[in-house]
Formats: sequence, C-alpha cells, structure tokens
Amino acid sequence: MIEVEALTRRYGDFTAIQNVSFSVKRGEVVGFLGPNGAGKSTTMRILSGCIGATAGHARIGGVDVLQKPNEVKRRIGYLPEVPPLYGAMVVEDYVAFAASIKGVAKPAMAASQALERVGLGDVRDRVIDHLSKGFRQRVGLAQALVHEPEVLVLDEPTSGLDPAQRREIRNLLHELAAGERTVILSTHVLAEVEAVCERVVIINRGQIVSTARIDDLAARRHGVRLRVAQLEPGLIAQLESIEGVCGVNRTSTGALEVQADREVRAAVARVAVHAELLELSPMNSLEDAYLELTGSGGSEPAGLDASEPEEDAP
Amino acid sequence: MNAILAIARRELDSYFATPLGWVALTGFVFITGFFFTFFLFQFNQYAVSAGFDPYGGGAVDLNEVLLPMFFGNWMVVLLLMCPAISMRIFAEDIHQRSFELLLSSPVGSGAIVLGKFLGAMGFMAVTFAATLYQPAVLYWLGAPDPGVITGSYLSMLLFSACCISVGMLASAFTRSQVIAFMTTFAILLVLFLLPGLAEGASSDWMQALGEVGMGSHVEDFGKGLLHTRHVVYFVTFIGVCLFATQQRVESFRWR
Repeated sequence: MIEVEALTRRYGDFTAIQNVSFSVKRGEVVGFLGPNGAGKSTTMRILSGCIGATAGHARIGGVDVLQKPNEVKRRIGYLPEVPPLYGAMVVEDYVAFAASIKGVAKPAMAASQALERVGLGDVRDRVIDHLSKGFRQRVGLAQALVHEPEVLVLDEPTSGLDPAQRREIRNLLHELAAGERTVILSTHVLAEVEAVCERVVIINRGQIVSTARIDDLAARRHGVRLRVAQLEPGLIAQLESIEGVCGVNRTSTGALEVQADREVRAAVARVAVHAELLELSPMNSLEDAYLELTGSGGSEPAGLDASEPEEDAP
Repeated sequence: MNAILAIARRELDSYFATPLGWVALTGFVFITGFFFTFFLFQFNQYAVSAGFDPYGGGAVDLNEVLLPMFFGNWMVVLLLMCPAISMRIFAEDIHQRSFELLLSSPVGSGAIVLGKFLGAMGFMAVTFAATLYQPAVLYWLGAPDPGVITGSYLSMLLFSACCISVGMLASAFTRSQVIAFMTTFAILLVLFLLPGLAEGASSDWMQALGEVGMGSHVEDFGKGLLHTRHVVYFVTFIGVCLFATQQRVESFRWR
C-alpha cells in the first residue's frame, strides 16, 4: 500500500533523510521508530504531500505522491506532530471544514461520524482552544479520519499526553487499525509500538537501519529479570555458569538481570528456585534492540524509558 | 470549487470568531461615520453661504463636492485597515501549524490563495455594507446620483482588494503578524504616495515609477469614476500579487 523508494530530502545543506526505502502492505500497522531528529517527521510529511522530496519516489496505493498529490491526499489521512487546529473554531465546524476541503460530499454528516468515532461527541460544540491536550489530539485524529482514508499517517499521536490519555489514543488506534486500513505511526515510545504495531521501521540519522517484525526483533535478545527471596552469594556465579548467559547484574532495587544470547529461562528457573524464586520475567528486549540499532546503546538510555517517555513539548 | 468556497467561508468566519474582525469593522464604521458627519456639516455650511451668493453660483452639487470628499478619505483609512485584515491570512496559519491541514488536503495552492482572498474580501464587503446608512442619509437629505455611489463603493472594493493582495503576499513570507502588517503598510504607503513624489521629477523613469504607484489611479475613484484604464491597472496589480502569493505557497513544499 505504501512504497517508499530511495527517498532523499535535503534542507539546504542539511540532509534530513537519505535513501530511505521501505514498504507497508495493505492492512498493516507499522511503527516508525527513531530518536528525535532521525527523519521520521520529514518522511511522513513527504508521504502526506506536505513537502516534496529531493530524490526518490513515494507511492500510496500505486500512485506517486509527487506526481499526483491530490489523488494521494484523498486516500490518506495525516496527523502532524502538532495537530493542525484552528483554535478559535468550534470542534464540529472545524472537522466539517476539514471534510469539505478533502472533498467529502456531505461534510456535516462525515464530521459528526468522525467525532463519534474518536469519542468527541460530547464536546462537539466547544471551542477547540478550550479543550485539553488529549481532546485536541483527538480532534486532530478526527480531521485525519473524516474522509475515510485507506491510509493513516500519524506523527507521534501520543506525544505530550498523560498515561491515561495515551492509553485512550492507543485503544482508538487499535479500533482504527482493524480491517483494511493501513496505518503508519511514528513514535519514540517503545511500549506503544509493542502494543499497536506488527512491524517496525527503525530510522536513525536519516537512514533506515532495520525493518523487522516486532517478534523477530524482540527474539534477538533473551534477557531475564528475576527476584529471589534469599540472595545467596553463590547464586550469581551459578547463574553465570549457565550456558548462553553473558552476564548477571544486580539492580539497585535488588532484582537480578541476566543477559543471554539464547533462551535460558528454564535453566535460570531451575537454579533460582533453590533461592526461593519470587518473580521471573523477560526483559524488554525491544528496547535493547532499538538502542543497539540506533547506536545509542551502551550509554544510558537518555529519556528512552519504555513506559514513561519524557514530555516533549514543542 | 467547493474547497475554495469552504476556505473562503472559514476565513470570513474567522474574522468574527476573534476580536480582530469586530474591532476592525467597528473602527471603520466609526471613523467613516465621523468623516461623514463632519463633511456633511461642512457641506451644509458651504451650501447655505453659496445660497446667498448674489451672482447665482448658488447651486452646489452634492455629487461633485460631498461624495469625493468622504470617499477620498476612505482610502486613507483603508490603507491602515487592509494590512490589519490581511496580516493574519497566512502568518497565523503558519504560526499555529494549521497550514499543514491545507497542505495535506487535496486542494492546490491556487485554491488556497483564492479561497483566502475571497474570504478577506467577504469581510471587506460586510464592513462596507455596515456603512450603507451613509448613502441612506444622503437620499433622505437630497438626491445623490446612484451611479456615483455605486461606482464609489465598487472602486473602494477594488482598492481594498489591491491592498489585501499585497498584504497576503507579505503574510505568506512570515509567521509574525506584526511584520506582515508593517511590511504591507510600508509597501502600500509608498505605492500610494509615489505619483505625488514623482510629480516634480523630470526624468522619464521617475515619471514611469509614478504610473506604477496607485495614486494617479485612485484619484478618480474618489469621484466615483470607474475608468477602464484604472480597472485594468488594479486587476493586473491584484493578479500579479495573487500569483506571486500562489508561487510562494507552492514553494512551501520545496523549502
């Protein structure tokens, strides 16, 4: 459904993305992952037809974005990083306006359906400026959905939201992704990718470093985190002697983290059970894979907490 | 076409959703009302004293004396008001990022520019409509020529369209409304005063420059005369500005 071929975009001397290629099949939900400034937004803005590309092609449903922008824009719903809202407008009027410039035959009806869809039925007659950030984000989503696009391009749809709002948006994305709709969403919240996406495209410094299924990516690493009631001195040595284990760390909270290059959960459990095993869980291996691929591993995962990202207010 | 109208409609509504539109409208109606009252009393005095003229020069024509006086003053007010109306047209959209809604919608840059232009002109039309009580008073007092009044209103619309097209171009170059306002005002002022400055000059290019300015073309406007020559000048002027604005909007995709 989405084909990106050797896409390059320069701003003056600065190359934002270089030779970016990937494709997304119909009905697939793909996460676009990368550190800030990696080129996620640039790629998405080209896909949505907001800006042009210096070189390369981007096709949506076989139609070239740069050659027939209007045809593509009718089939695509785009939510930019900052939702493109007219703050002084009433929610319903705004969405109806979006519908009419997107060529919807009955804008008012389409707007009211889109608002129900994103759960904004109750605030339809409020002024956008008076809404909370989470609601504003949903108005942005309603705008992207109002013309029933086949493809949704969402640029950090949950950034700057509190955990409850983030969960709501995530649930909404689940609903929207059901069926034939193709979704590509950028984020740097790994938990979100795991919750919503089937596949990730990881981009770093303007170049694609990996496109893989989430399961495959996670399977590359086999970290285990465990907690025991009685931490005997010999336990760590015992764990380290298990075949496949590369290292054991003790965290500040008293848990043990076992790094391994193959499946070691059963063996670890056998050893740890003698020390009264309380808890054994796989470590967030997607995070490791991500950090390794974007070259930011080793150093501390700055601001890259899998569950609670820092606020990135624009 | 629907998209152009939708953009125009939103643009027009946006003036009334914020204080800007109401302040501009009220201000315009108030100031022109002040001129109207002032000139009306002056004209009255003039007419009374002319009536005592023993040499029979008694007939003073409302159409020839009064109307040019106050429509001529309208232009000075418009010179200030139009930049205030046009400054937000693109600058605000760019600043609050709502421009991306337009860019990601299946509407061309031409449609965006035209829609916004029509919206702003719609606002000017509403403002002018609020001053229609002035000709109504004139009809009640005397017998103004409907042709002169219609012509004056049309020429004022054309003049505003010209100012707004300059303002849109300036607005498309900045995200600051203040900068858009000041640039527009400076350009309009120079264009307005150019013929006066060029008048005494002997060199040909100064004379030519004088023709480019609006001044010589707006002189007749105050009299309610719509010469083809002036209409062509203004339509060309507006066309050039809107085209340049469209090119600028198109360039957003390539910056």
